[in-house]
Amino acid sequence: MTRMERRNLVNGLLFASPYILGFLLFMLYPLAMSFYYSFCQYNVIAKPIWIGWDNYHELFRDSDFTTALYNTLYFTVFSVPLSLAFSIGLALLLNQKVNGMSIYRTIFFLPTIVPVVASAVLWLWVLTPDGGLLNGLLLQFFGIRGPGWIADPAWSKPSLILMNLWTVGTAVVIFLAGLAEVPKELYEVADIDGAGPWGKFRNVTLPLITPTILFNLVMGLIAAFQYFTQVYVMTNGTGSPAKSTLLYALYLYKTSFNYLKMGYASAMAWLLFLVIFAATVLVMVSSKRWVHYHGE
Amino acid sequence: MDTELNSSLSLKRYVGFSILSLLGALFVAWLWPREAKTPEERQALAEGRVIITYWDRHTGHEYEARKSLIDEFNRSQNRIYVRTVVIGSRIEKLLTAIAGAAPPDICSMGTSVLAQLALQGCFTPLEDRMKECPYLEEKDFFPHAWKMVCFDGHVWGIITTIDTTCLLWNKNAFRKAGLDPEKPPKTIAELEEYAAKLTIRSAAGIEQYGFVPWQPWDQTFLWGVMFGGKWWDENTGLLTCGSDPAIIRSLAWQQSFSIDPRSNSNPPYAVDPARTSQGRLGGAYQSANNPFYTGKVAMITEGEWQCTFIPKYAPDLDWGVAPVPQPEEVPPICNSQDGVADAIPSGSRHADEAWEFLKWFYSPRPDGRPSPASDYCMLIHNIPPRKEEALQERFIGDPKFGVFVRQLLERPAASFPTIPAAQFLSDIMDEQREQLLYRVVTPEQAAQTIEQATNAETRAAWKLAGRINP
Amino acid sequence: MANKHKFHWVAHLCLLSASVTFVAPFLWMVSTSLKSEARIFPKAGGPPQWIPTADRLDTQGRRIVKVLEGPFAGKQGVELSAHEGERHEILVEGKTIALWPEEFEVEQRLGFQWKNYVAALQKMDFINNLRNTLFICVFCVVGTVISSGLVAYSFARIPWKGRNVVFLCVLATMMIPYQVTLIPLFAVYRSLGWVGTFKPLIIPSFFGVPFYIFLLRQFFMGIPEDMSAAARIDGCSEFGIFLRIIAPLAKPAFATTGLFTFLFEWGDFLNPLIYLQDDRQYTLAIALQQFQSHHESAWGPLMAMSTLITLPIIVLFFLTQRTFIQGITMTGLKG
Repeated sequence: MTRMERRNLVNGLLFASPYILGFLLFMLYPLAMSFYYSFCQYNVIAKPIWIGWDNYHELFRDSDFTTALYNTLYFTVFSVPLSLAFSIGLALLLNQKVNGMSIYRTIFFLPTIVPVVASAVLWLWVLTPDGGLLNGLLLQFFGIRGPGWIADPAWSKPSLILMNLWTVGTAVVIFLAGLAEVPKELYEVADIDGAGPWGKFRNVTLPLITPTILFNLVMGLIAAFQYFTQVYVMTNGTGSPAKSTLLYALYLYKTSFNYLKMGYASAMAWLLFLVIFAATVLVMVSSKRWVHYHGE
Repeated sequence: MDTELNSSLSLKRYVGFSILSLLGALFVAWLWPREAKTPEERQALAEGRVIITYWDRHTGHEYEARKSLIDEFNRSQNRIYVRTVVIGSRIEKLLTAIAGAAPPDICSMGTSVLAQLALQGCFTPLEDRMKECPYLEEKDFFPHAWKMVCFDGHVWGIITTIDTTCLLWNKNAFRKAGLDPEKPPKTIAELEEYAAKLTIRSAAGIEQYGFVPWQPWDQTFLWGVMFGGKWWDENTGLLTCGSDPAIIRSLAWQQSFSIDPRSNSNPPYAVDPARTSQGRLGGAYQSANNPFYTGKVAMITEGEWQCTFIPKYAPDLDWGVAPVPQPEEVPPICNSQDGVADAIPSGSRHADEAWEFLKWFYSPRPDGRPSPASDYCMLIHNIPPRKEEALQERFIGDPKFGVFVRQLLERPAASFPTIPAAQFLSDIMDEQREQLLYRVVTPEQAAQTIEQATNAETRAAWKLAGRINP
Repeated sequence: MANKHKFHWVAHLCLLSASVTFVAPFLWMVSTSLKSEARIFPKAGGPPQWIPTADRLDTQGRRIVKVLEGPFAGKQGVELSAHEGERHEILVEGKTIALWPEEFEVEQRLGFQWKNYVAALQKMDFINNLRNTLFICVFCVVGTVISSGLVAYSFARIPWKGRNVVFLCVLATMMIPYQVTLIPLFAVYRSLGWVGTFKPLIIPSFFGVPFYIFLLRQFFMGIPEDMSAAARIDGCSEFGIFLRIIAPLAKPAFATTGLFTFLFEWGDFLNPLIYLQDDRQYTLAIALQQFQSHHESAWGPLMAMSTLITLPIIVLFFLTQRTFIQGITMTGLKG
């Protein structure tokens, strides 16, 4: 190792030491134990009994597991790109120096801070098939009898995706911060070159916010795969109707805290980890192609 | 770089920084959490009392009622001080505390949760202590209530309240349909007849539902009981519903209430299962918009808490209450599915003092007044589990509440199986019932699935506890 | 350059229509908090009432009604008596008639039920809860910003062997659902003696929070490498570069980190609930959660409490917007 490399290693470890220490102190034991439990029959109170791969075998025979996995993949595949596109568009609109923009920005951030209890009741009313707002509007303005939304197994996941679109506030704020880092001079240069708004977006803005896009994409994936609170509140923890909204994290919650099958739940958790990890690695590896770090 | 300008600037900076730090420190000092104990508790400590913690999963009005009685206990003696903590309905807190060996001294919870945790040795058995208590013998309680806390040959908790289900009907809707509002359906055949008359359709859909057997939530257990079926064998601890003809009949009956898309002769009271599932008829349960209060549903099976809810949320509603209809040949029975119980976790360090409090709470007061537990039942409008208390005028004398109480006194009652897989059973009943309504499974298949899946879970739980039977 | 002048009317239209759906729940929450119980839920599936109203009363305190059906339809009257389950007596045009509730409607005026707020404040220990919540939020912000910044710097600006592996590990910890690590983690804290105190809620933030480590790393990587290189040549230490060059340039990211940490800790009820053992330590989020009990739902006071808890955050967000919207000019960087 050269002197430079050695110096960098020391500095790198030093700066990263808070995390490394924290991991060893707080994360290592819980992670190791949950991994161990995934090979056991464990119900939280009694001593775990080692059963080897049985939990994993049973998972693949469990129809609820396959349902939950399918539901979650469906949700993730549609919700992540939609939310990403929507938040970029919104961030661009909100980045303008127009009067009243700060009020708009606050409005778009509101859904993320309004407590779930308040918004759940309202969404319930919007999406109820008979007498709900959405179907009422559809009937009134388009003359069509709307579907069952959250009551209909075929429409419940799209309803969830719709509801999720609405909490893009955090992603929008992060995009705004990312847009703020784009140096103004580059826009001025583009102006001088005679670029129009779309040209400026494609050649200046988009490349420079790719680090932020990567962040929101990865975090969006991680969050979508573990989507829990909204579903729990909207369906009372049941994943109704007919298990169409039984998402992975919900099934995991029921298995661990309602049925006390912590070993089985741990196996589920580590399988999910594998899936998310694989997806993230794929995204990170592909990011070398399309993400431009200004510093490199 | 140290010009005079810079040094005066840096002086300003220094002063500004110091003031800011001072303000910051004051702010932090104000924020710093105070001594967590209340003045009463500190005084109790000074008096040398033993402090025990009581965790309540109820909040709001029910918690207030409990707390007022606990305050009375604290005032009535000077050896023990009970500190109450509200922990809410999320189970994570109780579970982590018990698993992490930091449990409270007394905890109140639903009986199905108690059944699940009791097998794992989470609580201390109470039957020896109860034997020394003249008011807490088995014969004092409703038989089904006693069974709710018995498991594995021990008594794990004391039942605080029990519920029961009756049929409620909208008298106005009866009048409009030409039915006598004082004569509710008594048999299943009558129920179907009334439901047909009370289902009102219009171009926009169904305006009024006659009866929906799965409202306000899954009632599969109730119907199995009402049809005279036996869900489980108490001695083996295993379900037997898969081959019980009455249970299968009750499932088929539920199925008949959902529209069969392939048939062109659906009964007039059949409804769309998707639009009538829990919470989907529109309107929050605890609000003026509850489908029964607004007249969206004419008849419904509900619990005795409606005696407080309806006057509160729908004072204009003209309603009646009577026992749930049964098939003609089935002997009278009623449903008393769940209850709430107090238990002492096994890691408690003050079990004796905890028992002192429980004994005070569940026994009649020394001066002859009813027990604090029955006062609690009165305050939250639930039914007391001890027969003698249920006979008190304030429970049985109320015209509508009395119907619920009388039902428990006059008929045998069935309670939910006390098995370690209680929550699992409840969920799989709901799930199979849904599959049944969509005609994905037959009633026989549904009953068998419920039995087999639940028994598998039960056996797995026993194995974990190191045994092969209850 | 941002379009100061030509903000297309199409964009305005899009924003306006979208913001209606986004602001609706908040407005509903506030409006419900000011309504009396009877008005909170619309009749039989009708549209919700947005503006809080109260019954119009005449000088003798009787409700003023408008008859809907029958020979007096459309006329105004006064309600003389109202009994549960019976017809109500209405005095209209000098005559007394008896009507069922569906046959008339009570006239309304604008009316705010401030007593919902009084009820909410009475049911919770507001000052105490607020203080506890602020305590957790402030310290978490301090801890998170400092530690995450340091760790992110390591991943973004120092090329060291094994950096990518450790970074992947940081990401990986976010991929395990909390349900399976909750109980062993509780055991860790119990063995440290931290259960029943605020320590499990605050101290971990001083060791770096993966979400913000990732966020700050992305921002740090967006800063040109030449700036660090030039400083190194000048003999500046890594820490000096971090403090004097990188950190000021990433102010929007730090502001976002601080804001989000504050927000998340403000609304988090599960972690404080699990580790705190005494009501007096409870936070605002726990108080809100406890307010929704099984057998009673007072929607008016519940929404009042929600509004009280949400308003400070809205104000905070509104005021701190400038910190992450500012554009930065990189002086000294040309060509």
